[in-house]
Amino acid sequence: MNNVKNLRTFPGNRIIWHAVIVGIVWLLLLVLNNNIDPLYSSYLALVAMYATAMFGMTILVGLSGQVSLGNGALMAVGGYVFALTSMNWQTVPIIGWQWNAVWSMAFAGLGGILIGGIIGGLAARLRGPYLAGLTLGLAVGVPAITNRFPELLGGENGLMLSVPYPAGGYAALDSALGSSSDSSSDGTVDPNSAVEEDQYAELDLSEFEQGADLDADLAPEDLLTDDDLLTEEDFGVGDQLTDDDLLTEEDFGVGDQLTDGDLLTDEDFGTGTDLGIDGGDLGTDLEADLDVGVGTDLGTDPAVDLTGITDAFDSGFIIERWQASMAIAVACLVAFAALNLVRGRQGRVWKAVRDDPVAAAVVGISPSGSKISAFIVSSLFAALAGAVLAQILTLVAPGAFGLGLSLSLLVGIVLGGRSSLLGAILGALLLVWLPELVDGLSGDRGWPEQITNNAPNLLYGLLVVAVVLAAPGGLTGTVRAWIDKGRGKTRSPLS
Amino acid sequence: MLETVDLCVSFGAVKALSGMNLTVPRGEVTAVIGANGAGKSTLMRALAGLVTPQSGQVLFDGRSIAGNKPEDIVRNGLALVPEGRSTIPELTVEENLRLGGLWREKSDRGASKNLVFDLFPILGERASMRADTLSGGERQQLAIGRALMSDPKCLLLDEPSLGLAPLIVTQILELVSRLAKETNLAVLLVEQNAVTALRVATTGVVLNLGEVVKSGPAHEISSDEELRHAYLGY
Amino acid sequence: MTNFIDYLLGGFSNGAVIALMALALVLVWRSTRMVNFAQVGQAMFTTYVALTIQQSTGNWVLALLVAIGAGAILGVIVFFLVIRPVKNSDSTGAIIATFGVLIALQAGAGMIWGGDPRGFIPPVDNAGLEFAGRIWPISPYDILVLSATAALVIGLTLLFTKTSLGLSMRASAFNPEVARLSGVRVNRMLISGWAIAGATGAIGGVLIAPASTISPNSFDILLVFAFTAAVIGGLDSLIGAVTFGIGTGLVISLVSGYSDSGNAPIVALVLLALNLLLKPDGVFGHHGARSV
Ligand SMILES: Nc1ncnc2c1ncn2[C@@H]1O[C@H](COP(=O)(O)OP(=O)(O)O)[C@@H](O)[C@H]1O
Ligand SMILES: [Mg+2]
Repeated sequence: MNNVKNLRTFPGNRIIWHAVIVGIVWLLLLVLNNNIDPLYSSYLALVAMYATAMFGMTILVGLSGQVSLGNGALMAVGGYVFALTSMNWQTVPIIGWQWNAVWSMAFAGLGGILIGGIIGGLAARLRGPYLAGLTLGLAVGVPAITNRFPELLGGENGLMLSVPYPAGGYAALDSALGSSSDSSSDGTVDPNSAVEEDQYAELDLSEFEQGADLDADLAPEDLLTDDDLLTEEDFGVGDQLTDDDLLTEEDFGVGDQLTDGDLLTDEDFGTGTDLGIDGGDLGTDLEADLDVGVGTDLGTDPAVDLTGITDAFDSGFIIERWQASMAIAVACLVAFAALNLVRGRQGRVWKAVRDDPVAAAVVGISPSGSKISAFIVSSLFAALAGAVLAQILTLVAPGAFGLGLSLSLLVGIVLGGRSSLLGAILGALLLVWLPELVDGLSGDRGWPEQITNNAPNLLYGLLVVAVVLAAPGGLTGTVRAWIDKGRGKTRSPLS
Repeated sequence: MLETVDLCVSFGAVKALSGMNLTVPRGEVTAVIGANGAGKSTLMRALAGLVTPQSGQVLFDGRSIAGNKPEDIVRNGLALVPEGRSTIPELTVEENLRLGGLWREKSDRGASKNLVFDLFPILGERASMRADTLSGGERQQLAIGRALMSDPKCLLLDEPSLGLAPLIVTQILELVSRLAKETNLAVLLVEQNAVTALRVATTGVVLNLGEVVKSGPAHEISSDEELRHAYLGY
Repeated sequence: MTNFIDYLLGGFSNGAVIALMALALVLVWRSTRMVNFAQVGQAMFTTYVALTIQQSTGNWVLALLVAIGAGAILGVIVFFLVIRPVKNSDSTGAIIATFGVLIALQAGAGMIWGGDPRGFIPPVDNAGLEFAGRIWPISPYDILVLSATAALVIGLTLLFTKTSLGLSMRASAFNPEVARLSGVRVNRMLISGWAIAGATGAIGGVLIAPASTISPNSFDILLVFAFTAAVIGGLDSLIGAVTFGIGTGLVISLVSGYSDSGNAPIVALVLLALNLLLKPDGVFGHHGARSV
């Protein structure tokens, strides 16, 4: 204990200390990731992604006291920058090096910093409710921008990603498709036309399903009818498809295999199932598609010879694991940065301004500077999380970054503990775990879908109110208060 | 009329009033004087129900009112004009006055309004103007008028002189003291400005750091040089 | 030019509903100095209640009245259970709590009524009127919406300016301490504010529903529009809320007409951002319009 205290007083030592902690956690997570079922890896990826975004919420909402509903929109910025740069740039501008996903991440982060600076500059002048309202406008308005520029941003359908997976990614998939079906006419893939090809290579729906469950905004199955999904207009690929190709499971001949468990292990399908390329059915209404049960009626093209795909890949490559390790890496790097900021001078500056801007100004801290810096940091984190989400979904689309996502982030941070980084992690866990729990319960008890689909959000809403009223420090704050009480100390739940 | 017994008020560790004993009789002005931070406003706010005393009693008309809600206290006849010209600038003069007696029967309100307009004719002239167009002195008159609209038995005035020209202060306070005599009203006046306050008061009380250091007839206090130097700063 | 006029006319009834929602936000702001982000969620919920009544009885007026009552009650419940306990101790928490209520209401509505968009049959014809040889983008139903809004706004204005309750509510909003010292039961005034706001929002919800469909999330965008209008109007001003509510409706109608309705949220965002950039506390705030 004494040691820790001493370390805290020397920034250099503190950084080393933080690096050690984060490094150990990183290692443990990697070991975990490599030893669990890929289904759980995909959960892990989501938790890491949410945690990344919510570290930013801890700083913005918790430490700096600015309630933001806009971080989902900031994630959209990161996701779209990631998608656009990775799709359109082969080399790094000016330097001329080979482009890769790390560069896309860097540019996504840069985009986040820029936008964060702009919005933060505006936000710093605003009091609580005005800021919440403005960021609410962002959450609703930014996704709408994608419709403004359909050619560039793909409109409602969004952009399919060609994520440069280490084991070959698109090129391999494409040759597999090319050899096994007539869908790919010339054997090369233009990333922009990915939408038109991808419905043949069905895929990893598990993420969508989870993503959707988490997403407060999604109003699931109700919107989805076969008609919605399976018309040619939706796919925009009428020339290559007939209704027969798409519509029924019999046609696919794989319907019986596409159940939850099956789909998610590569024993069954090989990596082909896991390509993580969404079907073109993301078509008109992402909300609808996101919640489709795994493999139920999303068009897996029968013509795709699954063994062909399997052959095309190194069978050791499991996309969920890759996605999880990528998400974990980003989350750990962000956690390291956040730890140093929060527990260093900057953290005290943010809290000082939150608690008393006038007093802070008196001791030479600029309140607006502090608020803007919190916005920039949180926006950077959000953008990185958005880039990670883009890679998990292999897609960016307005529906994935809607108000529901922003609300989820707020829910997570409040439940986990508004001003604690650990709270952000717990909140992220809760966001991924609770819908699964409800799903499991509902499966056991045979609840109607209407109940199952809404139960997580009902719980979130009620829990948020309950936490604000009874335990404003959230999970971590409350536990910490208990511990302090045991030791005979007192402190504010929000400190 | 109004009496406090061992009244104590604290804000956390700060003891703003410690064991205050005070009697405010009808028909005259009682002045509490003390320097800034002596606890005068705290006394007034405790009497009006805006802060809850830690211990001690407030007796009004023989009944204990400590801990009652301010809206009930005013309805019982104890009206406070708080520090700093407490009018609502967004409302008209007439609305500010009406507000003071909304809970009363309509017919009773008319009489009070006539009384206020007699006392402060300027308010009648400005009735339909917004309160923020009034001068400082006029606003203080409006604040007192609003309190009188509740037909109080006891009127509490917290530093009415603050920021006003001495001539206007004297005018207003003389009106109030005349009113006290004519209508048998109990008035508790709290002031930093001891000279003016003691001139209209019958009894004076000197407050310092939450404690009464001296009380007695107003003229005795204003002539006590030692007291003046020690606590009143002139 | 014909287009312009058509778009403009088409925006009025939407604008009226935005105005009602903005009014509801302003009423809450005036009573409690906070923005109730659950307001449209409450309106959505009571609109579902109205829909249920209408479908079972076929009586639109009854449905509206029940919605008004339910809106008032829901407003009071939210105030008592959520806002009052937290308002003074944790202002950030109060904002967050309203979002919690919004999420819970939307999920609750989804549970009870399902997520399918539902139609709400208007009590009068909703097709454009034919007049002077052409069809105008104003229907009998639009006229009903506009008159109902006008009646409500006039009613609220009279309530606030002419009645004792109105004066008490205004005084409580402007200066609760002076109001209490004047004998006003300020707490009751806050409750009245939330009840009237809830009822106003409920009316807005029932009025807008036939224009499109209703689903648990269908009013989200209305929240953004209403907030924009309320903020530009100064958050404090009934007149401001109505003026800019209708103004927002017109702008959105023009934008939708000339480009695409998908752009409306962007326009609202730009309006809001510009307004907050120029006037972080709203255009009319702390000026003349505050008095009504
Ligand atoms: N709301 C409050 N919280 C904490 N301390 C207060 C509060 N109100 C007054 N005090 C303290 O109580 C003491 C008396 O203040 P006050 O009654 O306003 O004095 P006066 O009116 O005589 O100038 C001062 O030390 C002041 O700082
Ligand atoms: Mg004072």
